[in-house]
Amino acid sequence: MTKTPGHISPQKFLDELRRFQKGSVTRRHFLGVTGLGLATAVIGGAVPGLRPRKSYAALSGTLNFTTWPNYFSQENLDNFTKQTGVTINVNVFGSNEEMLAKLQAGSTGWDVFVPTNYTISTYKQLDLIEPLDLKLMPNYDEKSQDPRFLGPGTIDGTVYAVPKDWGTTGFIVNTKEVSQNPASWKEFFELAQGPLSGKVMVHDYQLTTIGSAAKALGYSFNTIDPKELAEVEKLLIATKPHLFGINSDYQPSMRNGDATMAMCWTNDAAQLHRDIPDMKYVLGKDGGEIWVDHYAVVKGAPNREAAYAFIDYILTPEINAKEIQAHGTPSTDARCLKLLPKEMLENPILYPAAEQLSALEYGAAETLTSPARAELMARFKSA
Amino acid sequence: MKERRSRALTAALLAPAAMFFVFLLLVPLVVVLVFSFGVRGPAGGYQAGFTFDNYLNLAARGKAFYNTLTLAPLATLLTALFAFPMAYFLALKANPKYRVALLVLVMAPFWTSQLLRYYAWIMLLGNKGIPSWLAWIGIHDVRIINTPVAVLIGAVYGFLPLMVPPIYVSLEKLDKRLLEASADLGATPVRTFFQVTLPLALPGVAMGSMLVFILLMGDYILPQFLGGGKVFFIGNALVDLFLQSRNWPFGAAVSVALVAIMFVTIYFYMRFVLSKTDTRRAALV
Amino acid sequence: MRIYAILIYIFLYAPIALIVGFSFNAGKYAMDWQGFSVEWYAKAFSNPLIMEALRTSVFIAFSTALLSAIIGTLTALGLERVSGWLRTAFDALIYVAIMVPGIVIGISTLIAFVSFFDLVNPWLTSAWSIKLEMGAWAVIAAHVLFNIAVVALLVRARLQGMDRSLVEASEDLYATPLGTFRQVVLPLLAPAILAGFLLAFTFSFEDFIIAYFVAGPNTTLPIYVFSSIRRGVTPEINAVGTVVLMTSFALLIVAQLILQRGQKTAR
Repeated sequence: MTKTPGHISPQKFLDELRRFQKGSVTRRHFLGVTGLGLATAVIGGAVPGLRPRKSYAALSGTLNFTTWPNYFSQENLDNFTKQTGVTINVNVFGSNEEMLAKLQAGSTGWDVFVPTNYTISTYKQLDLIEPLDLKLMPNYDEKSQDPRFLGPGTIDGTVYAVPKDWGTTGFIVNTKEVSQNPASWKEFFELAQGPLSGKVMVHDYQLTTIGSAAKALGYSFNTIDPKELAEVEKLLIATKPHLFGINSDYQPSMRNGDATMAMCWTNDAAQLHRDIPDMKYVLGKDGGEIWVDHYAVVKGAPNREAAYAFIDYILTPEINAKEIQAHGTPSTDARCLKLLPKEMLENPILYPAAEQLSALEYGAAETLTSPARAELMARFKSA
Repeated sequence: MKERRSRALTAALLAPAAMFFVFLLLVPLVVVLVFSFGVRGPAGGYQAGFTFDNYLNLAARGKAFYNTLTLAPLATLLTALFAFPMAYFLALKANPKYRVALLVLVMAPFWTSQLLRYYAWIMLLGNKGIPSWLAWIGIHDVRIINTPVAVLIGAVYGFLPLMVPPIYVSLEKLDKRLLEASADLGATPVRTFFQVTLPLALPGVAMGSMLVFILLMGDYILPQFLGGGKVFFIGNALVDLFLQSRNWPFGAAVSVALVAIMFVTIYFYMRFVLSKTDTRRAALV
Repeated sequence: MRIYAILIYIFLYAPIALIVGFSFNAGKYAMDWQGFSVEWYAKAFSNPLIMEALRTSVFIAFSTALLSAIIGTLTALGLERVSGWLRTAFDALIYVAIMVPGIVIGISTLIAFVSFFDLVNPWLTSAWSIKLEMGAWAVIAAHVLFNIAVVALLVRARLQGMDRSLVEASEDLYATPLGTFRQVVLPLLAPAILAGFLLAFTFSFEDFIIAYFVAGPNTTLPIYVFSSIRRGVTPEINAVGTVVLMTSFALLIVAQLILQRGQKTAR
């Protein structure tokens, strides 16, 4: 209820009421437009357990929500079900490629999913996501979003996805075991081939593994230049015998000491550091990746209404704050940031200094879909 | 009249399986074959076309074929070697009262998630597991996890529960009087084993080995978990091709090549096994 | 021999002991011991995602095992009655169904179904406004395909070793064909059918790769475990694994008791 109309004509009220009765608008829309919401809100606020903004009529069935593991608050999902009667079926995935592959294959039955910045233009191009009807999600406020993160979800002026949270790709170092103080991707690969042989992990993900190796050589994270990629391949294949593993599930190996250094995402870094203070998260001073995850609605979503209601619900600042605290990934929404505890905001892993961020690049759509990079990764893995 | 009814009965018995085989096996395989001649769409997936490029490109996954074709047979052999004495014990030596229970006890680990059991092996073979015990008795710097050895251990562990039952079934049929007769005729236990027990158990061993070999040839989880992404199987190549780089036509070509390899291997394997069992049986009678 | 068997059991159960042990871990990470606690059991049981995945997996595995046991047995019996090209063709199909690796079954089923849906869905939608989609049924279909072949082979091996004179004797005694089947053939085949049922259940319950490709929006337990392993297993998953194991042991004991009672009354 970001905008509550001051008044409404009797005729408009009746029209809206009829639309609501026919079920063509949600109760929330009705309450919002007519201003009854405000009245209910005042009353509701005084009566515990009766919260007006949590009423959604005309919704039912199941919502298929596809996301990453440990990336949502179960409590929030349960509350959504309680308020709407919509049961949520969560699918958890390991990589953007997999999501894309599943959606491309078709017939997924998904309603809402969480694509990362560099996939959105591809989804749009393949006609797999629908342009968002922002009227159906009044709790999303573009103005409160960090403008840095608004670009990827908007294509030719149309919003296809709204930011969920953001993070970076750096590496995690167990400083108890590693006395060197690597600060760049160059040093990461040098240590991997030398003193830390057998103890280093890279992602099983071409975007970050090839991108970071490219940074170590001084190229763009997104390079698809054949000559540069050939050098990247040489570096990676030379490093491979020294690696402990090629795996995006590096937390267990870092925790039990099998690995002492690993390519790492923000949220994993925060979790590792929280439990083991010796774990240090490094953003390569030669660059690296910054990313934003989004909410988007699948084209032909079986439960489209619930999909919008769900995104709208989850982007409500108070609920989003709970969400962010549950999985620990930095929020893009200023309204939400205000509600977060201070120690979260002061955590340099979650909110690195601005000059560190300036060296980072967004992954590009071609970086993910490039056949040359995919084949390079396959050669690296099978070498 | 009677013959017609008999035919109708035969048809009714075979119809359900025929439906499954045609619509879920033959048709999909033909579709894969068609796809293998297509081209990759600009953003991945499949685009109609006719080219042999995907087959010519198979060498790019040569290492995956090599790894799979060396480690899968080796792992199958090891599994059979470990499973046979176990099945023999269950079928012939164990208390008949508990036989089924003991057999199910072999199969039961399969009912806890295979993924979790491999995950436990990651811990057992990792830094703080067996290598640290070895270090304690003076053998240092042993690395098992993320090597082919780890994959072999995992294979024996993972497929033993599948190898034991078929061997058990064939041994259980074995008439103990045959063994007694053999002993009465003065055969040594070793000779009895090789001339009576083993040939009779061979169909079970052959079936178990085939099952395990097939599962290993298409395995993805085992090399992924215990090979740590460093031991690359055809299964890993296929998952990457379908779910990462989304090069469906090339993935289809790799699938066709894999199926072709399996057909040829198993054809010769079965011919070998059949010739063995037939001659042994003839010699027995 | 007995010592060997014991060693094998230790080999089989050591990792499981580890899983069970760490399900009582108070810490948040599966293999990082922080003290004893049973809280993860409560968490697992109140986690609707895990429960739904478990339900889906049991449903798929049970349907698969039942269908495969029935169809596989019918096939083995039917094949006894045919010869010539039909027999050869069926034998070939059984072997092909077994030989094609699961990953290829998953891929080909996915591709074929999706192509098929693209053909029929526009028509179905306009006619009855329904739409075919991937889901548990697709997983069952793909699992049954493989397991029919397994059951058929097991039952056939048993049939071949069966004493035909029993059937003849039964027929001489003027038993109806159905009576002969129920009284003579079925009891003789029972161990093979049971083994096939168990194998099919096991295979289906454990399968990750086929379900990964064709389960659509459904999540089976292996798929759930796989995705949570990717980002750090909590003891919650261990707790589920432990419960599944304990349930299968409980069922095993019940089955054993029933078998024993059956033997007693038979005597």
